[in-house]
Amino acid sequence: MSNLAVNSNLLETLSVLILLSSFVLMASKRINSYIKTFRIQSFLIALAAGIMGLRSLISEGRWDFLVVCLLIMIFKVLYIPNMLSKTYKNVSYKVEKDFILNIPILVLLCCGLVVFSYFTLTGVDGLSQDVLNLQLVNAVSVIWIGLLFMISRKKAIGQIIGFLVIENGLYITAMYSTQEMPFIVDLGIFIDLLTFVLIMGVMTFRINEKFESIDTDQLNNLKG
Amino acid sequence: MGILLLIVPLVAVLLLLTVKQSQFRHAISVGTSSLLLILALSLNREVLLHGSVQYASCGGFFYVDALSMIVLDIVLIIGFMAAIFSLGYLEEEIKHGKLKRERLGLYYSLMYTFIFTMVLALTVKNMGLMWIAIEATSLSSAFLVGFYNDKHALEAAWKYVILCSVGIAIALLGIILLHLSSAGVLNSSSFLDWTALYTKASSLKSSVLRLAFIFILIGFGTKAGLAPMHNWLPDAHSQAPSPISALLSGVLLNTALYGIIRAAVIVDRNQGSSSFTGRLLIGIGILSIATAAVFILTQKDYKRLLAYSSIEHMGIIVVAMGLYSPLAVFGGLMHMINHSLTKSMLFFSSGNILQKYDTKQISKLKGVLKIMPVTGTVFLLGLFAIAGTPPFSVFASEFSIVVAVFNGPYKWVGVIFVLLLAAVFAGIAVTLLKIFYGEPDDKNLQVGEVNLPGTVCLVILLVGITVSGLYLPGDLKELITKAQGIILGT
Repeated sequence: MSNLAVNSNLLETLSVLILLSSFVLMASKRINSYIKTFRIQSFLIALAAGIMGLRSLISEGRWDFLVVCLLIMIFKVLYIPNMLSKTYKNVSYKVEKDFILNIPILVLLCCGLVVFSYFTLTGVDGLSQDVLNLQLVNAVSVIWIGLLFMISRKKAIGQIIGFLVIENGLYITAMYSTQEMPFIVDLGIFIDLLTFVLIMGVMTFRINEKFESIDTDQLNNLKG
Repeated sequence: MGILLLIVPLVAVLLLLTVKQSQFRHAISVGTSSLLLILALSLNREVLLHGSVQYASCGGFFYVDALSMIVLDIVLIIGFMAAIFSLGYLEEEIKHGKLKRERLGLYYSLMYTFIFTMVLALTVKNMGLMWIAIEATSLSSAFLVGFYNDKHALEAAWKYVILCSVGIAIALLGIILLHLSSAGVLNSSSFLDWTALYTKASSLKSSVLRLAFIFILIGFGTKAGLAPMHNWLPDAHSQAPSPISALLSGVLLNTALYGIIRAAVIVDRNQGSSSFTGRLLIGIGILSIATAAVFILTQKDYKRLLAYSSIEHMGIIVVAMGLYSPLAVFGGLMHMINHSLTKSMLFFSSGNILQKYDTKQISKLKGVLKIMPVTGTVFLLGLFAIAGTPPFSVFASEFSIVVAVFNGPYKWVGVIFVLLLAAVFAGIAVTLLKIFYGEPDDKNLQVGEVNLPGTVCLVILLVGITVSGLYLPGDLKELITKAQGIILGT
């Protein structure tokens, strides 16, 4: 019993840390540190999946969470960040200079988003009957922060990272709220995500080639 | 048998990647799409006989009923037409140096991956798998949209993938909430299983389910091109090669709508009425029609104009689904079929015009009827058809939706609806009718058609939409009635 309590305390802490990592992401300027922060965030998620995996292995003998944990480690912690670093070495931009708003305001907006998801989610009955609720708020906030990150960054890699953070947010939402998604769905989401990153990597190269920059503000020829 | 629908395109992709000669590539493409069409016919029979088809052997994930069969039919018919049209289209592009012959294999293999993902989305029972397949449709078509690899195509492809992926991510949140609403109701073997959700709909948690529907509507709505999430659509449709534009507009949008309809059915059953989904759907539908009407009136690029017209028709279908009366749902389903056939015909003919005139600007086109008698005639009649003129089939379905709106609870919606349809009609007439007459600027333009197999496709489609406007075959009617029964839960 005490073991279980320690477990849920750990999960609670991890969910806060994951939220915190998305704040750190929002506050960083260098593309290099985007990738690092994303790596750390994915590692935290892998830890959470691992803890849940051990718990379900001991109590029900299910191993699928552990497989998912392994997949996150391989793809989100190692492969995707490495690939993005390689892409980033080939383009000339290292530091983001112009945002739609300055960073302190963006971080404040993130706080606003957390408050927003708190109020929206507690308003829905059927969600708010147990302790899981606060973790759910953290998880959903990560999704909205990822969206805001995508809007605020103008470089192609920033937008890819933003999407990956949204996906991370979705993943922990599913993990914390339902405890068990069908395994095949988890796998499929992984395949989709991997293809997304590959495609976007290729496209970033091509955009850099044709437009001589990866500033997505330049993609403004098609209108009306 | 039905499982072959998934295996055949995959085998075709593998073959297309190994074969090097372009004649063989063309042959494989046409062969595959004809085979798929035959398979669809036999599956149609089974669905009409048994109501639904599922196989216990493959983990129970394969499931086709009348609703998915209608969209599946559209996918495979338009897929077949696109395969035939591509024959002449690609050869013409290669002749003009716009495409290297080596890239033919890439084109076809991407196209069949795209068709495979759409078939997958329509044949799975699990909502989670359906989500995965719909996300895979945007990934597999990304390089098709950016196939020409110039600045504009790249921009369109980038916007397409970013906007659709983010939209679809929001839909995943909806799917997670849908899963959450069934906690304690379904056991782990039937998680997210559509039939289980459908039969147990009344015991799902309503408040979570309503939240789930909003996210699913926004998410799949992005993919279906509903305003205000439509920004990717005109770019992608105008920059993609014409056969792909036809597939995107005629098929992909319907696949995304299918996802919305599946979710709406569960929510409606849970609530016992359509007041919640209905208001959302009608609102977003009217907004889409209005947005499209404005952009059609001021459009300078004919492929973009057709794309905006797709947004309009998606809006019309969504309004019909929101009304939730038997007549409206029947009209909406029929409109799905009619719009796909008519719009793909228009995109095919715009492809012919583009290859002849080498411009997408409306102002630079003159004398289309004289230069290209067949394509010109089809394009002209097709424009009237898509604007909703009798005797074409779009008129028949639009008319039943209009009648249903005025029979429904929101009469004022009907007034706006009809006014907007009139505005779209006027927009199409004002902007496009001038291209058919006059003398072309370029005096060297030869009279004659490009792309012979494609032109045959155009004529077949034109005959199809004219005949089905006057007479609906019994089997098709039965299929639509069955799908209507599924949606209304009767």
